[in-house]
Amino acid sequence: MIRELVTRFGRDNIGFLWIMVEPLLFAALVGFVWTFIRGVDKDGISVIAFVATGYIPLTFLRHSFGRSAKIFQTNSALLYHRQVKVLDFIVVRVSIEAIGAMGAYMFAGIVLYFFGHFPIPSDVGAIVLGWAIYCFFVTSICTVLAPLSEMSEVVEKLVPISVYLSIPFSGVFNMASWLPPAMREALMWSPLVSGMELMRSGLFGPLVTPYYDLPKAFGVSIVCLVIGLVLCRKLRREIALS
Amino acid sequence: MIFCKDIYKEYQIGKVTKPVLKGVDFKINPTDRIGLLGRNGAGKSTLIRLIGGVEYPTSGKIVRKMTCSWPLGFSGGFQGSLTGYDNARFIARIYDKPYSEMRAFVEDFTELGINLHMPVKQYSSGMRARLAFALSLAIEFQCYLIDEVIMVGDENFRKKCQKQFFEERKDRALLLASHSLPTVRQYCNRAIVLHKGQAMMYEDVNEAISVYQDL
Repeated sequence: MIRELVTRFGRDNIGFLWIMVEPLLFAALVGFVWTFIRGVDKDGISVIAFVATGYIPLTFLRHSFGRSAKIFQTNSALLYHRQVKVLDFIVVRVSIEAIGAMGAYMFAGIVLYFFGHFPIPSDVGAIVLGWAIYCFFVTSICTVLAPLSEMSEVVEKLVPISVYLSIPFSGVFNMASWLPPAMREALMWSPLVSGMELMRSGLFGPLVTPYYDLPKAFGVSIVCLVIGLVLCRKLRREIALS
Repeated sequence: MIFCKDIYKEYQIGKVTKPVLKGVDFKINPTDRIGLLGRNGAGKSTLIRLIGGVEYPTSGKIVRKMTCSWPLGFSGGFQGSLTGYDNARFIARIYDKPYSEMRAFVEDFTELGINLHMPVKQYSSGMRARLAFALSLAIEFQCYLIDEVIMVGDENFRKKCQKQFFEERKDRALLLASHSLPTVRQYCNRAIVLHKGQAMMYEDVNEAISVYQDL
């Protein structure tokens, strides 16, 4: 049934490709600017590739958070059918974003590779695992954000801000190994960092020293997911449709 | 059978709690045609939404022992930005019906022709009602929940509904919220009067109508 909904939402997204193009453009621009500021390479890693790999998952996160605000209100007509559960909305939207972002990731990789700015991934498994952690955490945060945005106007307005706040905790533009150990320790609590580090280690191989903590990443995600599920359930009971 | 056991429903509007239903108790038998009467704001639509499972009661229980349509009304059940055909496909999928059958039935019943290629949000309320009825009739529910909506149709549509509901589907249950007393008198075998959050079931429709008129 979830797949049905995906195709359904896929239909009204005629510009589905835009999901891929937008992060690509941004990553390219930021990449160029950084290249001028800092030079092409840092420890043998292309700055463009580094920014692209950081920014594309961030776009996914930003879109997912943004789209989960008021998600129930916009889809309330579908709740008329008992088969449709509130969780479907979240899963569907996040998966669409995830598919788009991964497509962009691969596309960026291929294009940059031809320009000599992208390495051949050294460990595809690590990239996939990194993405999986990233997606899992984003999904669980969305299950928390979606009902909260419905319950309070303030949260709804805060969602875009929370995305920017999350940038330092997401490992987008830096590696944990560049940081002092104490800070690194603290960042391990963020599954986003673990996911990102894994992706990068899978991509750049021995050129980077990844730091990640799988138990913490999964633990934090699961806690968020449980809170989110409880909130969703509570909201479903109280939701009023006109 | 559908049982409603001691249903309470409150809405939270800001800091004010507005009780709508205060202990509603009744059951719908497999071939019942129940009219639902009540003044504006008495809770008719609320009750229908609760039975349809769109909203949940604050307390109490609804037990559904037969399949039950979504509330057929002016809004809800459709994705407005999608076309009539897309909505039909969606409904066919979630209710596990072959789309080709669904499509044929919808085209035949609605007579909307080319309009089915337009987004549903551009439909008039009569067109929407046609589509909603076509979709729910195609699925073959055992119980249909109807909120007002028959009244907006034209003569041709009313005749079609009458044929579908009262001739071909005599064995199904029906819960019909309506202000149209002739409709209720003509089609229903029992009636509920909703007043002040309480529901009174009358086995005699005429008695229910006279109580309703005295409110």
